[in-house]
Amino acid sequence: MSMLKAVDIYKSYKVGPTEVNVLRGISIEVERGELLAVVGASGSGKSTLVHMLGLLERPTSGDYYVEGEKICYDDDRALSTLRNQKIGFVFQQYYLLPRLTALDNVGLPLVYRGLRISEIKEQAMAFLRKVGMEDRAHHRPNEMSGGQQQRVAIARAIVGKPSVILADEPTGALDTQTGQEIMALIRKLNEEEGITAVVITHDPKIAMHCQRREEIVDGLIVHQDQREVV
Amino acid sequence: MANIEEALRSLTSAKQRTILALTGIIIGIGSVIGMVSIGAIVENEALKQFQDMGVDVAVVRREFSDKTAEMKLQDIFELKKHVRDILEVAPFLGSGGEYTLHGKKTYLEQTGVTESFFTLNMIRLREGRLITDLDAYRCFCVIGKAIGDFLRGIGITNLVGNQIILGDRIYTIVGVLDHVPQGGMRPCDINNAVLTHITTAGRFFQYRSIDSFMVRLGGQKTTTEIKTEVKDYFNKRSKGLSVTILTAEELIANMKKQMRLFTLLLGAIGSISLIVGGIGVMNMMLVSVAERRMEIGLRRALGALQRDIQTQFIIESVTLCLVGGVIGILLGVLVSLVFAKLSQWEFLISYGSIALGFGVATAVGIFFGYYPARAAAKLDPIKALRS
Repeated sequence: MSMLKAVDIYKSYKVGPTEVNVLRGISIEVERGELLAVVGASGSGKSTLVHMLGLLERPTSGDYYVEGEKICYDDDRALSTLRNQKIGFVFQQYYLLPRLTALDNVGLPLVYRGLRISEIKEQAMAFLRKVGMEDRAHHRPNEMSGGQQQRVAIARAIVGKPSVILADEPTGALDTQTGQEIMALIRKLNEEEGITAVVITHDPKIAMHCQRREEIVDGLIVHQDQREVV
Repeated sequence: MANIEEALRSLTSAKQRTILALTGIIIGIGSVIGMVSIGAIVENEALKQFQDMGVDVAVVRREFSDKTAEMKLQDIFELKKHVRDILEVAPFLGSGGEYTLHGKKTYLEQTGVTESFFTLNMIRLREGRLITDLDAYRCFCVIGKAIGDFLRGIGITNLVGNQIILGDRIYTIVGVLDHVPQGGMRPCDINNAVLTHITTAGRFFQYRSIDSFMVRLGGQKTTTEIKTEVKDYFNKRSKGLSVTILTAEELIANMKKQMRLFTLLLGAIGSISLIVGGIGVMNMMLVSVAERRMEIGLRRALGALQRDIQTQFIIESVTLCLVGGVIGILLGVLVSLVFAKLSQWEFLISYGSIALGFGVATAVGIFFGYYPARAAAKLDPIKALRS
């Protein structure tokens, strides 16, 4: 059974009188333990796709399954719970809360599971260790470099042991060197911890880290590639 | 718990804005507390004065509409014989003014009384003796505590036996009184009074007509019945003389009514400040929501329910109001303390008003925080994240 399965997804927006079709019949499957890259230029619909996969966006039509369970978009409560338990997000801009320490930022998804504070802190610390940021646990985001912030964000994405992490341009705000390091970390987590991950990028070099690559052009998956990982 | 910690953190991160928004709440809660407490202090003070005099005291007054009919001393003394439920009568005759005692000027109230005046007014003696009815027509006096202190202040140590000159008469001091709380049914400020026998006063005062006297009521009859009997009695004794009778109970009832009105009025002023303060809080919360759209979007992406976001912001606005509430309560208590000190009244903390303060602060926080919190919860996560 696949972790994520989207079948014939359409998404269109109304911009004034004209209708813009962002996704035009996308079907995609993500298997357990897979590291998948979705490559696309800006405006190709890749951001909309990742938001749809992350249950932040409702498709205009098409079916979507998370761990075999069909998603019903009418129940906001159920969607929130699924996001909390099955999805881990990594964003281009990190989106760490500036007032919280690294430790508290990482623990955030667990707060919404109603865990005790001591337990949350303990788990968050364990995951900071996995991304090599344990010595920065009590620092605020503005005391950390971009690369460090993204590591903390990755720890936050995996702290709840989700089914899949969705990384939307995770290296987009970083220099090449740091970007490579972040990709190496995602790859390591995939290989050593068996974490399923989807990386959305416009950069083929970043996509090279992934076993499987899909390309999205104008809201359609156009090309499948099974080349070896570099 | 984590929510409150989080709320405090976000409030301290925008200190200036927090303080500005809090000002309204502080003033609002402060005025409610201050006003309610002052009301309670006044009421307590008023009731205390009646409590130490008893509620069976009444004052009979001549109606001023009728200038010719006089209330004669003899008729007052004989009232007891004709109306059985009047246990005691205490007529008095007073005139206040500036006098020179041993070369120093002071204000005093020269009052003519009878023996019963002391018991009816619950006056205690400090040294010497009281004026008795055997002192009729004699120039003996007892002095109030403040007058005693005044005389000591100008170097006269042996008060009892000393003589003072009032007008063109020399009076011998036979006693000094204890402090007597002012107000209630007491006809004058006894602490500042020089008391002689009423017959002595009747001879020497320029104004000799008795306008009112005190009585103690008792027996089985109702106050209304006694009132009628007293009125009939005076009407019979002196043609056309009409009197009004005010009992302590009636006075207390009137005062309580007045206090309630006072408290309500003050409460209303406080409420208006609170509404203004609440709007300030709402404004601050709306700004806070607008500034933290990314945070709201992120929290939703991480799995926060709409309810979680709403709760977070409501807790924040309630925390804000409670912080303002605590400061406001302190301010209100301080204001009422200053008020009590200035009026030399007993200070008391009205715990009910403090509870009210916390209650009101919470209510303002929930009420004015609801709309911004709801707006935050309803944000589309994606749009919020992108902003």
